[in-house]
Amino acid sequence: MLHLERIRGDIVALGRRAALEQARRQEALELAHQWWLSASDTEHLRRHVQPLTLALDRWDGAVPCTGTPISAQIPCPDSAPNDLTVIGADGSQIFPDRHALVLYYLLQVGAVIFRYTGEAPDTHTREWLHYDERELYDRNGYLIGSDTLGMERTVKEMEVLADITAQERKRSPARVLSLTDGPLLWPYLERGHSASAALQAYLSALRGVQQSGGVAVGYVDRPGGRPLLELLWADQLAPEDLASKAGDNPLSVLTDYDLMAHSLAPGARTTWFTRPTATNQRHAGEGQEVWFYYLNLSLGPGDAIARIEVPAWAAADETAMTALHGALRHQASVLNGYPYVLARAHEEALVTTQDKTALEAAIQRELAESGIFAQPSEKARQKLLLGRR
Amino acid sequence: MVPETHIITIGNVLRADIRGFVVASRIPEPEVPTFGTFVRAPIQQGSADLVGLVYDIRLQDDPFLRNLAATVTPGDPRFDEVIRDQRENRAVPVEISVASVGYRYCDDPNYAYGLPPQPPMVLHQIVVCPPDEVRVITSSPDFMRALIDNQDIPADELIPTTLLRAANLYPGSAAEFLLEAGRYLARYLGRDPVRLEKILLRIAH
Repeated sequence: MLHLERIRGDIVALGRRAALEQARRQEALELAHQWWLSASDTEHLRRHVQPLTLALDRWDGAVPCTGTPISAQIPCPDSAPNDLTVIGADGSQIFPDRHALVLYYLLQVGAVIFRYTGEAPDTHTREWLHYDERELYDRNGYLIGSDTLGMERTVKEMEVLADITAQERKRSPARVLSLTDGPLLWPYLERGHSASAALQAYLSALRGVQQSGGVAVGYVDRPGGRPLLELLWADQLAPEDLASKAGDNPLSVLTDYDLMAHSLAPGARTTWFTRPTATNQRHAGEGQEVWFYYLNLSLGPGDAIARIEVPAWAAADETAMTALHGALRHQASVLNGYPYVLARAHEEALVTTQDKTALEAAIQRELAESGIFAQPSEKARQKLLLGRR
Repeated sequence: MVPETHIITIGNVLRADIRGFVVASRIPEPEVPTFGTFVRAPIQQGSADLVGLVYDIRLQDDPFLRNLAATVTPGDPRFDEVIRDQRENRAVPVEISVASVGYRYCDDPNYAYGLPPQPPMVLHQIVVCPPDEVRVITSSPDFMRALIDNQDIPADELIPTTLLRAANLYPGSAAEFLLEAGRYLARYLGRDPVRLEKILLRIAH
């Protein structure tokens, strides 16, 4: 039970601090907007930030990829999506729990194949149940954590996307856009052998999408990070100050999301950027360097900002990118700023509490038939009882 | 309508007692069974089958659909795929209530009408009874006994609906089937002429 009266003072202080922060953020936002509008031309910017980009992973800024000014707003094409299939994929999991009646973990990937033909979309799910001790513990004997499971899930999502893309391309000549809910750029630190193997498998699946004739697309809703703001700050610095002052960004109270929500018109997208990180170099080594832009998918005044990531080879295909822009706009118009196909993929992938209960009851029954009577730990049982209050 | 041999897998039995059970499920709209459908569920560790009738179907709150309703216009070609997805694919969260009618042990071809010895346990499959099975169940009007006595279900609507649907399975003798059912009801409800008339009028119409 929480005694609210004991933290009353802290709650009041929190509110006051938020008001002060808000004023600081507003000032920073105005400054960011000005810097964005008056940014140097892209060729100059690329040359200017080159010393920073050479120190991989030390600078978390964005680099413009094309000659289009970075403050350009590219409007959504008017034409309705046509001759196009959009596949959305998402994953979910049950984490291993040492208090559960048996140790296991489960991954499930759901996908929705949305063809712009007037037909009902197709749905697809795949699941993997792991219970072998070698899969449950890491090399140090610890139960695997959320990062390990996240990596495996990310790989599975991309592998499922690659499989479905290949099937879809055999079925129809329509262009295929294969969306995943999250970044396309591998989001995990490459630490240890298993992380490297997972990244390799992921890049292989990414290549599989390309080889099947599809375009893999990462959709990051309400993105965090400030690569564009770091670029704007670097633009303000003299070349000799870059190394010493790049870390003193006065816009650090903001994220790119804040600037885009303030400045990007509904339906419009920015030009292309890339991130000069070691992970992106690994991608580039496999022909899958990731570029991104920001997109405002709100239907009117609002802030449905997303970061859209695609492989650089796909970004160069103007027709495909126009189709992607139009399709995302259409998909988001159905659900107030979030792609319908991803919302449905999430629903297909979701392992609900009810599903988990059903799975564990089935496991318990199977164990009982083998003469094993497993029970959750006493702690888990007590939590379950208390959680019902 | 559900194909008669279609198997519906139910996620979880929410509540169950001897007189019936309620299951929560997420199944696509075309697979939701209709009012008065005979269903079967294993009981007693699979040694027997309970048969029952669907008497209530409740759609649970669906915030996703509520959100869509504000943006999607039926008839607008921009939303054709979305509307078809909702109607044909999307799992509708439903609660299906079933009233017990009778049961049969696996080694016995005859049905025992009335309440079963045990309700179905969690995670058993509900199967829509095929026409041959419905014909066997309804071959004796005794199948109505547990329904007539069940005060918690809309029996006066359920009985006529079930009889009229079952009568279609007796080509050439449908009238005779209904007449025999009427006689049974007259005997059973002789002391409640108002209720009897209400049910018989529904059958006659």
